[in-house]
Amino acid sequence: MEIKSKSETTYHKIRTFDQRNWISENLSYKKDSGSWAWILHRVTGIALIGYLFLHIYSLSPLTEGEVAFNNKMQTFTSPPFMILEWFLFAFVLFHSLNGIRIVIVDWANGAKYHKQLYKLSWVIGLILFLGMGALMFAHELKSVF
Amino acid sequence: MYKYRGSKDSGSKSWVLQRITGLALVVFMIGHYILMHYQPESGHTYGAVLARMQFSWYRIIDLTFITLAMYHGLNGIWNIFRDYKLKSWAKYSVISLLIILGLAFTIWGYNIIFSIPYLNSVAGN
Repeated sequence: MEIKSKSETTYHKIRTFDQRNWISENLSYKKDSGSWAWILHRVTGIALIGYLFLHIYSLSPLTEGEVAFNNKMQTFTSPPFMILEWFLFAFVLFHSLNGIRIVIVDWANGAKYHKQLYKLSWVIGLILFLGMGALMFAHELKSVF
Repeated sequence: MYKYRGSKDSGSKSWVLQRITGLALVVFMIGHYILMHYQPESGHTYGAVLARMQFSWYRIIDLTFITLAMYHGLNGIWNIFRDYKLKSWAKYSVISLLIILGLAFTIWGYNIIFSIPYLNSVAGN
């Protein structure tokens, strides 16, 4: 019977990066708050620049005068669009608060407490998100309660 | 003697600008949100926009907002591409596309603001 030394068995357990399955390899990485912040900052950033293009497009009826603009705005103030707007605010909130966190990390020694800052930005973000919801849907909330 | 032989553009200027424009955009965004949602009519009727646009300083703020947001956003997209080792042709295609898109939409945005007329009888501009 062959006896393996301890170092030998652990050597075979070392996993190397599997180039062929790079997507699942990346997904299987253990992610701490910093990785999540990095991923979410990218996702929200891409979404926000996409929205900026859309925003300029959607305000373009301003050139066609009052009737055209007010007609367009009527669709944008309907409930489904308002819910989308609310979630857009969530994206803005995350990107802004995490952006402030990045600046603190880069310029104000925030690397020492970046995890606390990440948690704090979620707390502030959730409060502002719910506050905005209450403000935007005040009329609907009144009719429910 | 030490001589720097790296790339001329290390990206450090764009790094600083990204942070400065980002912080400025947070300030603009707070104003934007208060104005747009504190009273639902303020951002969503032609009359309200027309009244606001009588003030030239307000137009200047909006033009700055578009410019900063467009720069910050497209520079951010470019930063994502810079994480990958792109072939030269791909690099130039991406950056050309971003510049063209950015300029087109910025000019479109400027045009929308300039198209809103000044009313003769209103003081303050």
